[in-house]
Amino acid sequence: MRQIKSTLKLLRRSPYQALAAALAMSLTFFIASIFVILIIGGQLVLNYIEQRPQVIAFFKDDVSEAKINEIASSIKSTGLAREVKYVSKEEALAIYRERNKDDPLLLESVSADFLPASIDISVKKAADIDQITKIVKGHTEVERVITPENLVEQLVKWTKTIRLGAVIFVSTLASVSFLIIIMVIGMRIAIRRDEVSIMNLVGATRWYISRPFFIEGALYGIIGASIAVILVYAALLFYSPNIQEFLGPIQVFPINPLFFVYLWAGEALIAALVGIIGAAIALFRYLKIR
Amino acid sequence: MIQFEQVTKKYPNGQIALEDVDLTIEDGEFLFVVGPSGAGKSTLLKLITRETSPTSGQILFNSQSISRIPGGKIPQLRRKIGTVFQDFKLLLNRTVFENVAVPLEVLGKKDSEIEKEVSAVLEKVDLLEKASSFPAQLSGGEVQRTAIARAIVAKPEVLLADEPTGDLDPKTAREVVHVLEKINDEDKNIIVMATHNVQIVNHFKKRVIVLEKGKIIKDEKEGKYETD
Ligand SMILES: Nc1ncnc2c1ncn2[C@@H]1O[C@H](COP(=O)(O)OP(=O)(O)OP(=O)(O)O)[C@@H](O)[C@H]1O
Ligand SMILES: [Mg+2]
Repeated sequence: MRQIKSTLKLLRRSPYQALAAALAMSLTFFIASIFVILIIGGQLVLNYIEQRPQVIAFFKDDVSEAKINEIASSIKSTGLAREVKYVSKEEALAIYRERNKDDPLLLESVSADFLPASIDISVKKAADIDQITKIVKGHTEVERVITPENLVEQLVKWTKTIRLGAVIFVSTLASVSFLIIIMVIGMRIAIRRDEVSIMNLVGATRWYISRPFFIEGALYGIIGASIAVILVYAALLFYSPNIQEFLGPIQVFPINPLFFVYLWAGEALIAALVGIIGAAIALFRYLKIR
Repeated sequence: MIQFEQVTKKYPNGQIALEDVDLTIEDGEFLFVVGPSGAGKSTLLKLITRETSPTSGQILFNSQSISRIPGGKIPQLRRKIGTVFQDFKLLLNRTVFENVAVPLEVLGKKDSEIEKEVSAVLEKVDLLEKASSFPAQLSGGEVQRTAIARAIVAKPEVLLADEPTGDLDPKTAREVVHVLEKINDEDKNIIVMATHNVQIVNHFKKRVIVLEKGKIIKDEKEGKYETD
């Protein structure tokens, strides 16, 4: 308690260094949070796509139901598909009718023969859509295949890019805040040189002398991460209409408040560790006692 | 008990500060270490706290070799020793009370205990009214007594005082040493005081060792400090 009090007193005495350290930390973890959210968001979109049929194969008019079923089970046996659903001409008509029930003109002009039979395939992993499409196209009985292949491909590519960007960007920023912490705590040790040497001479252990600096490092991390998460929360709240519009049918709001609690806890922990390790290096480097 | 056995201290720059020193200090003893500037008085004290280590020979504290204490155990040694440093080493941004409290904080004592023990010791050195003053606001004698208060607050087995009478006038100097004598009488601890204050040494009639160029040239009970 006394340690925390004296740490706080020190922070008040030279607020600029403390500010620099905390801000570097909050910038790092703000950017990190945005990447975390992008990655989770991308995953949500992929999950959404994986949940509905992504590949629809329409068959030529003369293909028999038995043949279609055979093809369906061959696709199933690849293990890539989660579900393969046969939609007969009649079912297709029913769906068509349901969809266009407000438009009598369209309804009249269509009979079951007019619509092709199809199989709707949902994949286990969005990344496999391409492969399944190829397999389906390989069957001569198939007339036409609809797939969102481009969208998914793009999405998968984007998620990979974002992950790479996250690693590079966040680790650079983290290194910078790490160095700033080492510098700031190094300065603190220098400022408290007399105090440190006196405590050392009256029998303070190395741990006793080091502890306030560790607390300080951890504090920078925790304060930085907290500021970051608050900013992210505010930003998400502010932009939620735009985000929802962009995502269309994929429902993400309201975000479970627990998400922010976990985000905060996770980041505060990592940030505190960065601060503590930074302090440890500064102590190793600058604390000369015997 | 503190024993120096054939202790030589040579600083890395080649300066020999102590040479072949043999010395036994019994429990409860009050010892003056005198000698001209550069004779090795401070070095002798620094060897006891392991601020520095002997080049050869060994120093025993309660039969344990000080130089064999592993680094992590040095704080335990220092907690048994109170030191009044030649340059006082008071923290200028802390009050008298806070300065004196440092050794107790280091021991992890509770605020209430610290309050009580610091007040008691400030009373003993007659500084209670100055408890909330900063070192810059004190007279020389008060600074010295603050340093003594800090050195004795944790009730050390050994009290080392390096020139605690610095440039005090004779009367104040005598008062300061009187405080040390009182502590020695009450607590029966070892007190080693380095000084070149002739009047003080002659007035208090304690054991005196005289160092010159790193060697003990005289060791007398109830000794005097003769200058030639
Ligand atoms: N850290 C050091 N490095 C090198 N030489 C030192 C160091 N400390 C002391 N000395 C030298 O060792 C000798 C003894 O010094 P010491 O400080 O023990 O003397 P002293 O008797 O305390 O003198 P004073 O009465 O002036 O305080 C001196 O010649 C001094 O210059
Ligand atoms: Mg000296």
